[in-house]
Amino acid sequence: MLIWLLSDYDHRKHLAFKSLLGRFSSAYPETRAEFSVKSRRSMWESLFAHLRDPKRNPMADVVEIPQNWTELFSRLGMLSELASEVKPLEQRRYPDFILKELCRHDESRAWSAPWWLEAPALFYRPQAVRGAVDAPAEQLATWEGFRAALDRVRSPSRRGNFRALSVPGSSGSVSVSDVLPRMWGRRGGLFSDDFNRATFNRDETIGGVEDWLELAVSGKIELFSADRFENGPRPAEDCAFMISSRKLPGAARAGLRILPYPGYPSGGGLTLVYNLAVSSSSREHAAASAFVSWAMEPRNASYFAESFGVFPCLRTVFEDRLREEREAEVYRRLFSAPELMPNIMVYPTAELLLERALWNLSLKITRRDYDREDLLRELIMAQGEADYLLSLY
Amino acid sequence: MKKNGKELFAQASGTVPEGRGAFMAASLEALVERFSLDAASYYEYDEKTGLLRLLLRHASGVSFEHEENLRPLPGSAAARALEGLQAVPAKSPAGCFLYSPFRLDYCDPAGGRGVVPCFGLVRMERSPRRRRFSPAEAAKADAYLRSYLRDYYKAELLSLHRKYDKNVTAITELTEVFATALRVSDSFRHILSGIQTYFGFDRVRLYLIDEKNRKLKGELSADIRGQVKSISYEEIPLEPGAHRFADIVLGKSSGAFMERYKDCVLYMPLAVQGVTIGLLIVDNLLSQQRIEPEELTMLKSFGGQIALAVDNSRLFDKVEELSLYDELTKLPLRRYFNQRFQEEFYRAERFKQPLALVWADIDYFKEVNDTYGHQIGDKVLRETGRVILSNLRKIDFPCRYGGDEIIILLPQASGEEARRLAERLSQELSELRIPVPFSKAKELRVTLSIGVSTFPQDASTTDALLEKADDALYWVKSHGRAGIALYSDMAAAEKEKAAGGGTHAPV
Repeated sequence: MLIWLLSDYDHRKHLAFKSLLGRFSSAYPETRAEFSVKSRRSMWESLFAHLRDPKRNPMADVVEIPQNWTELFSRLGMLSELASEVKPLEQRRYPDFILKELCRHDESRAWSAPWWLEAPALFYRPQAVRGAVDAPAEQLATWEGFRAALDRVRSPSRRGNFRALSVPGSSGSVSVSDVLPRMWGRRGGLFSDDFNRATFNRDETIGGVEDWLELAVSGKIELFSADRFENGPRPAEDCAFMISSRKLPGAARAGLRILPYPGYPSGGGLTLVYNLAVSSSSREHAAASAFVSWAMEPRNASYFAESFGVFPCLRTVFEDRLREEREAEVYRRLFSAPELMPNIMVYPTAELLLERALWNLSLKITRRDYDREDLLRELIMAQGEADYLLSLY
Repeated sequence: MKKNGKELFAQASGTVPEGRGAFMAASLEALVERFSLDAASYYEYDEKTGLLRLLLRHASGVSFEHEENLRPLPGSAAARALEGLQAVPAKSPAGCFLYSPFRLDYCDPAGGRGVVPCFGLVRMERSPRRRRFSPAEAAKADAYLRSYLRDYYKAELLSLHRKYDKNVTAITELTEVFATALRVSDSFRHILSGIQTYFGFDRVRLYLIDEKNRKLKGELSADIRGQVKSISYEEIPLEPGAHRFADIVLGKSSGAFMERYKDCVLYMPLAVQGVTIGLLIVDNLLSQQRIEPEELTMLKSFGGQIALAVDNSRLFDKVEELSLYDELTKLPLRRYFNQRFQEEFYRAERFKQPLALVWADIDYFKEVNDTYGHQIGDKVLRETGRVILSNLRKIDFPCRYGGDEIIILLPQASGEEARRLAERLSQELSELRIPVPFSKAKELRVTLSIGVSTFPQDASTTDALLEKADDALYWVKSHGRAGIALYSDMAAAEKEKAAGGGTHAPV
């Protein structure tokens, strides 16, 4: 049995999975299980390559996918129905906000099993923001408050590498996961509420993208960071603020405090959910389903998620983790009104369209020839194609 | 002796790993093992943007793909390695590093004579506490990596060879598909399925030009799974600016939108002898993946054949239509009727369902021809055909049986239902006024004589059913024409007459 795992900027995830698979192999010695770690792009390409030529490009038996790829790949006939085989799915043992998106059209069937989730939040070091922010919870609740605080934060003289803001999960350029919280915070989005038309061009959507791009234009975040290439991710001690969807290792030791993502009127925020799916063409279907069921057992789901600072999706362990969490109050707020990526057929493609636009804009920003017109042009183009896609699918 | 990763891999798979990803994963693993590294990363360098793209990393016993685009610091060890194309060791608080650059040319996957350069570096890492890379060790590691890359070049050639094999198969089989495509109903399906089988685009769509209505009409669409569906609901006016598809067919500008997506969409106008007959669109819009240049080239080279196959299919259907349908009345001809009659009769027999046969004759048609000429006669026939076709159900089957004789098969219809249809046809035709220039009468009225027989009441074979309808028709004709007779009624009336009860016209 082969498993394709999504790669992560945090290597702890890969190691945790390796260890998890070791435990699975001990529990099921008759099943030979291997895994390979694929980047999001490579996973996407591999799945489509399988669709185009299944013989030459076999698909893994189990794949980890972002939850909102489920509708697309199940409609393309690549995923097995799991509700009848994975007990937690059958018994709907997940928080309602996850189930609502997972089973958009059919409550009795599910084509993937929610595994772990994360939500971006704002981390800050009280010592570093002293003098710039008097009442963090109030001042940093809005984007404007946060943005003003970034301007006021000053580097301690002894730290040459100090940065006001760090984004540990960044891939170098501005990406969809960077801009989505701002876009949704402004009540913008990629599609209208009924998903009948693309809204890349709405003022709220443009404003959300612009909020994040402005951070790059003004140098608050560094694109394609040379320092990161040389020295790896910046340690928490070198930053005043960090935006991360993971609980940061050693956060308490570094004196980091956490607040909800700024500027989310609902008080909640973007929640990213990752699922396990079984290939419909798997020759080891029983073993694959057994692995998914086993991974969903509370102890295993909890162990895996805890290993790299995220939350398990299974309701009981999710609630346990929330109760035990040091910053329980903040996470409870984040998960009080969580917003998931819509699990509709064209959404993953729409993300790619936006990703491409953001890549082009990131390059322009680095070359210092970015203009607002560029953003408008990119989003008009992307909207045109997204609308066209909606008409096709 | 401990084997290195390269040997282990070759032993396990019996060949060098296919694909750059698998090959580099094996090389990184081997490097880490052989040179006691903590991690090794594979980067490709984009000279245009000056960015290093991390694609693969091996650390703590796990290989993982990853995507990160970062810029090397000017003057840094990595930048120097890329500039001088020589391995450069470095030490920083983050650890000890060896940057080993590579530049290799591999064969153009598009099949061209050129080569595609691949430029990048491999970063070998040790934690700060461990020993730094000595010059000798750096040279050894660099040489080891280069030997791997040479093997990679061979693997690339092998993969290219397989690709060529696939293309040759595609060319042979697709040519066959296009050459044997005959009827429109299934040939379009075969053509689209053939394209999907060998190219596997997200979607292929076929539009054909309807010259008469100046429209581009959707025909079929095949998705990535090979499922073909009709898109006949799509109709685009063939006018400049009406739609970008229309613009393409009309040879107008393609616009910025198409320029942007030219990598994942191909619009291919289909032309036969310089005349555009339609548009084939292939796209990878859902996956947003690039259509490989060699696929584009190959598909374009098939363009003429596809156009010819599409045109042939349409011509074949046209010829078939001419041989099965009467051009004047648009009704099927006798040959076609005979075939369908057998089928319908068999079905009625098997499922014990009624079947009615209506035999109609245009009254005084010979006189119309003789008096007013064949042009008027043709007009009468055309109008009769139109009235009949507009009054039938989908399952009914009319036919111009010969001259002015028309037969209509009515599956699942009783004698009474057939009579009602006959009345409707007679009524509608009798209301028609056909203008007759240069004649005193100025206009002509048309009436029908109609005989009806039914299965199973009147006959138990096809011949008998025809005979009984003909008898009924003859009866109407001999009783003043412009009437309708069911065989059963006629028989009863004749019986009554024979018994001395007088005459009684069935209608």
